[in-house]
Amino acid sequence: MTELQDLMRETVAEQPYDDLDLHDVMVAGRRRARTQRLGRAGVASAVVAVGLVAAVAAPRASSGDAGPAGAPDGTGTGGTSTTAPPSPAGPTLHLSDAVQAVEGRDFRVLATHTNQNLDGDNGQYFDGVTDDGMILFRDGPRFDQLYPRFALMNPATGAKTWLPRLNIGQADTMPVELGAHRLVLVSQGGVNRSGALIGHVFDRDTWQWSTVTWPSLPEVAGPTGVLGPDGRLYVPVLATQGKVPEGDWPLGRNKEADDSGAAGDTYDLWSVSLDDPSDVRDENMSVGSIAFTSTSMVWSDRTNGSGGLIHVRNMTTGDETTFDPQAGARCNLLSVSAAADRVVLDEFCGESSAGVRDDRIQILTTNGDQIVTIQDSGIGGGTFSVDGSDDVVTIFATDRSPALGTYAYDLSTDRFLRISHGMSMFSMGGPTPAGELMWSTAVNDNHGATQWLGELTP
Amino acid sequence: MGRDAASDAAFTEFAVASRARLRGTAYLLCGDWSRASDYVQEGLIRVYVAWPRLVRRGGELGYARKAVVSAFLDASRKRSSTERPEPEQWDRSSDEDVANAVTDRAALMAALARLPERQRACVVLRYFEELDVRETAAAMRCSEGTVKSQTSRALASLKSMFEEASRRELLVGREGIVPS
Repeated sequence: MTELQDLMRETVAEQPYDDLDLHDVMVAGRRRARTQRLGRAGVASAVVAVGLVAAVAAPRASSGDAGPAGAPDGTGTGGTSTTAPPSPAGPTLHLSDAVQAVEGRDFRVLATHTNQNLDGDNGQYFDGVTDDGMILFRDGPRFDQLYPRFALMNPATGAKTWLPRLNIGQADTMPVELGAHRLVLVSQGGVNRSGALIGHVFDRDTWQWSTVTWPSLPEVAGPTGVLGPDGRLYVPVLATQGKVPEGDWPLGRNKEADDSGAAGDTYDLWSVSLDDPSDVRDENMSVGSIAFTSTSMVWSDRTNGSGGLIHVRNMTTGDETTFDPQAGARCNLLSVSAAADRVVLDEFCGESSAGVRDDRIQILTTNGDQIVTIQDSGIGGGTFSVDGSDDVVTIFATDRSPALGTYAYDLSTDRFLRISHGMSMFSMGGPTPAGELMWSTAVNDNHGATQWLGELTP
Repeated sequence: MGRDAASDAAFTEFAVASRARLRGTAYLLCGDWSRASDYVQEGLIRVYVAWPRLVRRGGELGYARKAVVSAFLDASRKRSSTERPEPEQWDRSSDEDVANAVTDRAALMAALARLPERQRACVVLRYFEELDVRETAAAMRCSEGTVKSQTSRALASLKSMFEEASRRELLVGREGIVPS
């Protein structure tokens, strides 16, 4: 007789050498956490409609303002600054400059959805909004719904029309096109040495899914890609990674590792057709972060570290502009987004000896002129759209209780609004059309969240 | 952005302490040490991403176990419906091995290989990880009823295949009873 439990233990008792590198695990984990923050950001709080002050916030003219320490900008090479956060190069706003938005006057809520207990199980989410205003609604994967299922939800009525099953297991998906006639999501091939990018195309006219893969496209680290104005999907493939210094990054006062001034990563840029698996193009470009407006490609030299220069190329004429965003020596570029003639940089610029983080949302023109930098501790954000049409910079403030919440900087009117107070602890959200934004608020003692879709009033 | 160094140290300590056990679980699920390492790596990455919340709520090992099983099941689902695990991916798990198995371990692995993935996961979680029905259902993201039915089917198949190969009786549970 043999006992099953004993036999299982004996079978795995003598394991061959395991070359798993925990450092690699943590690097991959950091990257994934950061990607979630950047790509799926959507945190906020209960909407509090108070305040009747004017809804246009004039940027404080701090260009040339040396800041408390007299330094024009951080010049350290990592570690904590001995001064308060230095002033950015251009006009600057802080969270306290935001005007409290009033529902009905400054914005209106289009739809909400509440998950009471996301600690207990995965839930249902707004993953984005289509060109014609329908919400891409995702259910699962969760205990009773092992595969994610998708619906198009009418925000006016709440009615959902479920799409046919998309057979992708429990893979993460990222929307890259949310059109009136076609939806395109991408996922990665899986954990079993398969980093293949997969496109899932839903034809809204025939109501059918199809799959496209690109055999000659190099493997990617996760769902990735940005749709260009030419209809091609531009895919960054990791080329070089900045090194962690010997002995790891220095610790700040709050005991967080401070990697400001990191070397940054580079990617080789490829592009693919969403219709033709054989149409794969090596763009022969080294990029950091990329984004598109309706006419131009915008990219940095590096990302996840010192970003270098910003480049803007008109996709029709090929004309190219390059400029130094003057982000500061210690600023890590986390993401680039763009809309119309604006470029938005999300940056982490280190921590002061007083434990104050220097996070910045830097907004420039596509010619490199400084519009405004929103600077505060614990903020991040950008525009979130699949086609560069979104003209609302959504800013998530996560650090300090009084300032906790979601803020919006309207690129078309330069309004700086506080949309909500507090926030849920869960990341959710997706791309929206122009003028719209998503945020979430905590419910059930922070075990759950309400997700909101709103629209700024003109 | 940086992570708390103390948090990284705590994660490392957890990973070092749990990786062998997680790898054992993954090996029983997939029958290949190399792939088992892949699943553990993916599982630990998921744990690292969720670490701040896990530390606050507890249950790190449970989450890690769930992540490894999820990584295994994800990979299984991604294979085409007609594709079966390659015999060579399993250590001594071919039909011939089953017939000629001379060791109980080989017979066990061969029999496990023949179970559908979710049935296999039920058996491994119930009898190797010693999870109860509720915990197994949570780890597999399915109902308790599914766990019971899948486990029952799996054990019947497993006993039959094992005993045919090894000519020895396979007991499940100390008293030959499935633990509740």
